[in-house]
Amino acid sequence: MKILVCVKQVPDMESRFQVQAGGTAIEEADLAFRVNEYDEFAIEEAVRLKEKLGEGSELTVLSLGPQRVAEAIKKALAMGCDQGIHILDTASRDPYQVASLIYQAVKDQDFEVIFTGMQSQDLGYAQTGLLLAELLGIEAVTTVVSFCQEGDGFLVQRELEGGQRMNLKLQAPALFTCQLGLNQPRYPTLPNIMKAKKKKITQLEAASLAPPAARSQTTSLRPPAKKGQAKFLEGDLGAMADQLVAELKAKSLI
Amino acid sequence: MDFALTEEQRIILEAVKDFARNEVAPFAAQSDQDHALAPSILPQLKELGFLGSYLPQEYGGAGMDFFSYCLLVEELSKACASTGVLVSAHTSLAGDPLARAATKAQKKQYLSLLTQGEKIGCFLLTEPGAGSDAGSIQTRYMDQGDHYEVSGNKIFVTNGGYLGLGILFATQDSKLGHEGISAFILDLRSEGVTLLKNEEKMGIRASYTSAFALEKVKIPKENLLGKEGKGFHLALETLNGGRIGIAAQALGIGQAAFELARDYALERKQFGKALSRFQAIQFKLADMALGLESARLLTYKAAWLKDQKKDYSLASAMAKVKASEVANACAKEALQIFGGYGFTTDYPLERLYRDAKITEIYEGTSEIQRIVMAKEILNPT
Repeated sequence: MKILVCVKQVPDMESRFQVQAGGTAIEEADLAFRVNEYDEFAIEEAVRLKEKLGEGSELTVLSLGPQRVAEAIKKALAMGCDQGIHILDTASRDPYQVASLIYQAVKDQDFEVIFTGMQSQDLGYAQTGLLLAELLGIEAVTTVVSFCQEGDGFLVQRELEGGQRMNLKLQAPALFTCQLGLNQPRYPTLPNIMKAKKKKITQLEAASLAPPAARSQTTSLRPPAKKGQAKFLEGDLGAMADQLVAELKAKSLI
Repeated sequence: MDFALTEEQRIILEAVKDFARNEVAPFAAQSDQDHALAPSILPQLKELGFLGSYLPQEYGGAGMDFFSYCLLVEELSKACASTGVLVSAHTSLAGDPLARAATKAQKKQYLSLLTQGEKIGCFLLTEPGAGSDAGSIQTRYMDQGDHYEVSGNKIFVTNGGYLGLGILFATQDSKLGHEGISAFILDLRSEGVTLLKNEEKMGIRASYTSAFALEKVKIPKENLLGKEGKGFHLALETLNGGRIGIAAQALGIGQAAFELARDYALERKQFGKALSRFQAIQFKLADMALGLESARLLTYKAAWLKDQKKDYSLASAMAKVKASEVANACAKEALQIFGGYGFTTDYPLERLYRDAKITEIYEGTSEIQRIVMAKEILNPT
């Protein structure tokens, strides 16, 4: 079975974010980057599937972005992916462009299963996976919290609002967007980090993949305005509890 | 000149940081209280290859650079200093001398056990009467034809309680001085080896510091490590490298104290404003950051020199003195910033304060480091 996992490198969420002059992008100079958390669930699930299938299955990790993105690909290789595809791209892209570039890179490779994160931690569009499935003309299942392969089909569980779950059964080829709770991603072992250096990463230039025009544009980006202030309750526990209930009732929250 | 980590070092650092934060730090206080590491720690260190880090791939190690090993020890120690020293002593006091001085057959048999974590490594040099003056050891070995027979006492053996694999130093005749000392590979489960006790300590309480009695222990001839009579030299060389690991451990302890104090100073309000707005506190934090940065540069340079196969005796002594003194200063000042809370066991400061102290003592006291430094400075080659 040919498996693909798509990952995005995002700023470490503990970074201090500053909007660039121009007001449409985040200043990258001082940011540390790491693999999008949801994509780590995707990598883990893909590696587990590969390990379960054993010989004859092949797992490719793909990422799009500037040179620094190679680090995210190497982490995925250290976690157990077999090879990488790096779409070298320095432009800022909307989800449709990203999905189109990935589509161009993988359309002839007959991947039977594709894993992506449910969304990215930085921009949170939750569109790239779905758009890629649409372009490939394959089934897509979002917010997957449980995954099981059986024969050439899959039994999966989706997370719905209010803690509800939904079970689905479908056939390959299909794309799954992975949600928190699906698995606990492994730590790459030191020997595997060293071995990952020898795995092949194919580099493709974004320009050679005929990127389409963007369908949406960021017009402005700014930190949320500070409003209101936290209120500190004082007094003994009983009094504070009474105050809290009164406050919540006043705001019609309970 | 490049102060940036390589891509590989960044990947290693991220993996180690994540692991240390999620799997080690939450158990540090309990481990300290229990005088034993949480049972989940060692199997994971083994699984993730943390026990073979910079040791050669050929014998099951990860074959990464020594620099990355320092990042590993630093991050583990930031979460739990006892975990940091377990890895440090295992790798640089047992694995390192094997990688440097062992024969191929010895490496195949013993180094692989260490890199795979099948045995935990330790270093049996210190004796009740031979601490800093390591050349005066009394543990005797006798050539019995088909084997060596060793008798004596060893103390302060980090990791000893795991009864794994030790690098043992013994003398043929103490009158021969340094020239009489040889090194041996010792399985601590051998007959004649008695674990007398694991010390009760002020700090790094979840790590073993053990005392052994050796009584007519039979060591096979093929377990002589390096050349006969060259043991003292091997011990000094090993400690030269080992102390870079201790510097990294100290850095981790100091960094942990600093970050806790910084966050607390930003949050804690007295006299109507955050502690961080008082200059007395600002100066403490600035000094801590300055000390840590200096110690980090010295430690990283020593590690870099070792990777470059250049002489690092002076650099490693400097790194260890600086990092251990900075760790103690940071722990002390951080505890002061926490005030009374810092003195209670509800906060990790008192543990960091206790853990920091040993870094000024083991693998060569600060005083011995200064002697090493003076020798290097006064005898330029």
